[in-house]
Amino acid sequence: MLRTDEILSTMQMLHAEHLDVRTVTLGLNLDDCAGPDVDLICRKIRQKISRYAQGLVPACDRLAGRYGVPITNKRLAISSAAVLLAGHGTQAAVEIAHALDVAAGEAGVDLVGGFTAFCEKGMTSADATLIDSLPMVLSKTQRVCASVNVASRRAGINMDAVGRMGRSLLEIAAATASNHGFGCAKLLVYSNIPQDNPFMAGASLGAGEAEAVINVGVSGPGVVCSGLRRRIETGDKLTLGDLAEEIKITAFRVTRVGELIGREVAQELKVPFGIVDLSLAPTPAIGDSVGEILRILGIDNIGAPGSTAAVALLTDAVKKGGAFASSSVGGLSGAFIPVSEDSVLADAAARGHLVLEKLEAMTSVCSVGLDMIAVPGDTPAETLAAIIADEMAIGVVNNKTTGVRLIPVPGGKVGDIVEFGGLFGSAPIMEIRNSGASSRFVNFGGRIPAPIQSLNN
Amino acid sequence: MDNSARHAYVLNVMAEDRPGIVALVSREVVYAGGNIESCSQTVLSGYFTLIMVVCFPEPLAMEDFIVKLTGASESEHGLQIMIRPQRRTPEPIDLKDAENFVVSCFGPDTAGVICRFSALLADKGINIVDLYGQLRGDQFVLISQVQIPRRWDLAMLQADIEQLGRELGFTVRLQHENIFIATNQLRLTRTVNPIHATDQK
Repeated sequence: MLRTDEILSTMQMLHAEHLDVRTVTLGLNLDDCAGPDVDLICRKIRQKISRYAQGLVPACDRLAGRYGVPITNKRLAISSAAVLLAGHGTQAAVEIAHALDVAAGEAGVDLVGGFTAFCEKGMTSADATLIDSLPMVLSKTQRVCASVNVASRRAGINMDAVGRMGRSLLEIAAATASNHGFGCAKLLVYSNIPQDNPFMAGASLGAGEAEAVINVGVSGPGVVCSGLRRRIETGDKLTLGDLAEEIKITAFRVTRVGELIGREVAQELKVPFGIVDLSLAPTPAIGDSVGEILRILGIDNIGAPGSTAAVALLTDAVKKGGAFASSSVGGLSGAFIPVSEDSVLADAAARGHLVLEKLEAMTSVCSVGLDMIAVPGDTPAETLAAIIADEMAIGVVNNKTTGVRLIPVPGGKVGDIVEFGGLFGSAPIMEIRNSGASSRFVNFGGRIPAPIQSLNN
Repeated sequence: MDNSARHAYVLNVMAEDRPGIVALVSREVVYAGGNIESCSQTVLSGYFTLIMVVCFPEPLAMEDFIVKLTGASESEHGLQIMIRPQRRTPEPIDLKDAENFVVSCFGPDTAGVICRFSALLADKGINIVDLYGQLRGDQFVLISQVQIPRRWDLAMLQADIEQLGRELGFTVRLQHENIFIATNQLRLTRTVNPIHATDQK
């Protein structure tokens, strides 16, 4: 039997603190759709997605009703589209992306990830085709999301690919200039890309995964904020250890919700359950903010000294609580600090408290990286590439996933506020100091060798 | 206790709450040669109530037992006692046939709220296994744990209950117990299989 206080506390989380399941993502392998005939590839893609995904949204809706838990996003993550592009050109890439877009729409999902190339060590012609097609793909489709892995712990950093992504960002921004370069919001540049990330824009189904699998991303910054506030309001003398404990308990509860929903969706769709991603994913909604958690932890201006330590505390507590709640933890699993998607972070950036360099430092202790950051549209490609290279280095050396989602806003100047809409939020254009001063470094190209795995200081 | 000599009684005690009531009642049960098989107590707004199933080796003289329990003067202890023979041990509802849900209602306090909701549940053969209601300011909170027969379509049932909630100005939710187990308890949630009628689409 449940106790009344347990029921009331869950009701509080669900209905006052906006606990939801942020995403249920169906991973689907499309390798068997490859072939020499583009029309046939597209037909197969639509048939396969329809076969596996048509039940996704109804199943999520039924379970959301059964448990009274909103499932905010239902999404698809396909195996690397580069496999489908082998032997084809950019026109085929655009047609395939269009087929994915249509199939995702028919399945009722808002985004489909997996337009992905793995080029941490080298680049195949299919990878090059995929990257070349990104400006067209991300401007002509609505739902397709792309990612490019340019670095890994084992391979080091492919600086040729990094340089290419710097140029690609400017091309994508230009192709979506009427929308403030929004195409770049659908592209993540990775180091150590996970096989099973359910969160967009970087979701894809990696090698070693099943034919189809359900992965779940939980949410909960709002719940963590409320839990911390309640604990502080008790008036007890608290240490950071006590606050970490509170976050841990909340993360446990949140993760159990994700696990419950994920397993039951998987059971209904008759596909395996993959992982719960423990990441605290903020939204622009007031209160649903990782920045707000940092403020409650005592950082008055996000970006002030102490911000990195506070994020480290938060990320670790979330992982500890989540790891006990689920035996199937995966994906990115940390705390996201996407600037435009988190109103408190966006505000800190607008006030000049939070600068790019501090964000970079914070990403060394949390997932996923420099995320949803608007920068001036006239930033040189080499500088964008150098920012990517810095973030990749943090991932490669620290053996963790990092990503970069920069949006060079065409015509945008430092301080302009850019509105991306919906969950993507709005953000000020941030200053890049020393812009243009790392071109020679990037233009050397080649590969930064993989780091030594001993002598770990 | 030997079941062949089982004489079971249901004992109900109500009193103004104070320390020592359970000690008093259980002591009299022991003096009468009885054994408490199960019991549950709660305190609500300063009032104590206790229900227990007690077994005796011989048939119990119920009136005598009540007199002993309340003492020479009822006012001394202030206990109200009811006792009756237990007819049978009811079989718990098989969870293959029903599932546990939580109905929660929040809204302005008005007379007849519990009556309306419980009538709707009773009408559909839904058993209330736990009920909690409390006035908080001018808002009434009603939470009941219920067993819903699998034959009902969950979405339709939710629509009916929510409709009643709207008529009374209440926010009403019907949620499967697993969400509360998952968020509060370390035990595993019960796998739902076969799935609920509403899910068989």
